[in-house]
Amino acid sequence: MQIAPILIVCAVVFALPLVLNNDFLLNKVARYLVLGILTISLALSWGFGGILNLGQAMSFGIGSYAMAMALKLKTIPVHTGSGGLPDFMVWNNVARLPWFWEPFKSISFAIAAGIIVPALVAAGLGWFIFRSRVTGVYVSIITLATMVVLNLVIIDQQSYTGGFNGITDLAQLELFGIAFDAYGRATFYLVATCVMLSLLVAFAFTCSRAGLIVQAIRDHEGRVRYFGYDVATYQIFVFALSAAIAGLAGMLYTIVMEFASPTFLGVQLSLSVVVWCAVGGRQSLVGSFLGAVLVAGMQGALSESAAFLETWTLVMGVLFVLVVLFLPKGLAGLAQVAWHWIVHRRQVTQGIAHGVGRTREGSA
Amino acid sequence: MTTHLDLRDISVSFNGFKALNGFNMSVRKGELRCLIGPNGAGKTTALDIICGKVKPTAGTVTFDGAALHELEEHEIARAGVGRKFQVPSVFRDLTVAENLEVARAGRPGVWANLRWDLGQARRPNVERLAELVGLAEQLDRPAAYLSHGQTQWLEIGMLVAQDADLILMDEPTAGMTAQETRKTAELFGRLKGKHTLVVVEHDMGFVKAIGDIISVMHMGQLLAEGTAAQVEAHPEVRRAYLGSGGITNA
Repeated sequence: MQIAPILIVCAVVFALPLVLNNDFLLNKVARYLVLGILTISLALSWGFGGILNLGQAMSFGIGSYAMAMALKLKTIPVHTGSGGLPDFMVWNNVARLPWFWEPFKSISFAIAAGIIVPALVAAGLGWFIFRSRVTGVYVSIITLATMVVLNLVIIDQQSYTGGFNGITDLAQLELFGIAFDAYGRATFYLVATCVMLSLLVAFAFTCSRAGLIVQAIRDHEGRVRYFGYDVATYQIFVFALSAAIAGLAGMLYTIVMEFASPTFLGVQLSLSVVVWCAVGGRQSLVGSFLGAVLVAGMQGALSESAAFLETWTLVMGVLFVLVVLFLPKGLAGLAQVAWHWIVHRRQVTQGIAHGVGRTREGSA
Repeated sequence: MTTHLDLRDISVSFNGFKALNGFNMSVRKGELRCLIGPNGAGKTTALDIICGKVKPTAGTVTFDGAALHELEEHEIARAGVGRKFQVPSVFRDLTVAENLEVARAGRPGVWANLRWDLGQARRPNVERLAELVGLAEQLDRPAAYLSHGQTQWLEIGMLVAQDADLILMDEPTAGMTAQETRKTAELFGRLKGKHTLVVVEHDMGFVKAIGDIISVMHMGQLLAEGTAAQVEAHPEVRRAYLGSGGITNA
């Protein structure tokens, strides 16, 4: 894989505000870009590591709540009770800020936590899964089940998490004197920067020796052991790295959406990510990213149009089935074939133009 | 020369079936040992025991003083044991060059491998290896597109890349042409001395071409040990192979 497509996509993303002169639209696109980051993280673990994490949205949700908790504590006292207590805690008769909320008074702590906590949770979960050599569909079941449990805990612990409603009425994030309004350009550029960072970090990893070994594990897990690699450690690493990126995406999602909700770590979102990833091409970072942006964008457009109001999920389902049947490598695979075809055609035409001289060179 | 690899009283049973039953074998450093025997004699299981794929129910495996039977597969590999499987096992989605890169496990930890020296400083080494196994033209092709014989060669190349002290080969010439088999015999001749090799093989011509000492297995036990001539003359061996037309046609 080459870096050129990544740079092109990043350039286009950064140029988007020049074309989109509508704050509402900009916010919507930013939202799709964030979902794109989430999908990159799944491509890393699924496409490159062979680990189909059906609970990818868990890391996303943890990141989202980390950011929401910090921003909630920054809100003006209108939205809080006495002593800066979040409103939903007041309604639930919580007298003091719980201990695990305290550190979120620091925004830098929240940002660090939004990345590190998902990574640690994934590493811990991965330790149990991969040390016991659980593979394939069982990994997917365990990750999905873990996410559902966390989701239920968050809904159940209403007094500490806001329950079903999530955490709403948030302050704006302020970093280095810049206020990140969900509908402002600053937020869009923040998201665009994170898209670039995520793509580059993931790309750097896949190009490293460790990335190569992870792909070897995907191809033939058993074989890798006999070269002296501790397979579980590599799997835990890629699992945690993927979770960290998903956590970053979750934090951005809170900023863009202006709330955090249990649906952010819901089954529906988590499975949608798998669809986006498959449609875009799970073995391509750029492909999976574009897959998410395009399909999520389409979902948005369809679900808002009068004609498809009822049937848009059906359209999505048909799209997924078609891709799985006819494009096992997704849109990225299609693009690759097209590119090879173009290059090949050009070579053939050039070959004819150069005629015999070239053939001699070749046979020499 | 002292004993390099030592298997003592190894027993393995799969659901009551004793694949190995008090199997003993010791191999000296730099030796090329051939392991032969009728089907189901436990040859592959013996290799599985050494490389850790199967744990013995009884007995010990020592390699340069280390108790291999107590280690995990990757630890055994780090102790200097490499293994070629009967069904050629390579990474099909990776290119030939990448396969060889993965096999060069100098430092096997995750953090040590977060570096980006692929295809630069190491390329000459990879090219030399690919030439050795006749895959220089295929370096950038995915391994999935190789023929069966080429896949065998690739895995042998990967073992050379791994540079293990002890190399276990399970039917390395299966599916190869006569010419390829001869080339393999040559390569093994070169590896001998620097590496210790244990080779499971059915092709007696190949075994005679490469082996110093041959161990014959039968029903999970060591039946005879010696040079090709000694083994062929051994009455027990003749009896074990009775009905299959003698050892040469096994």
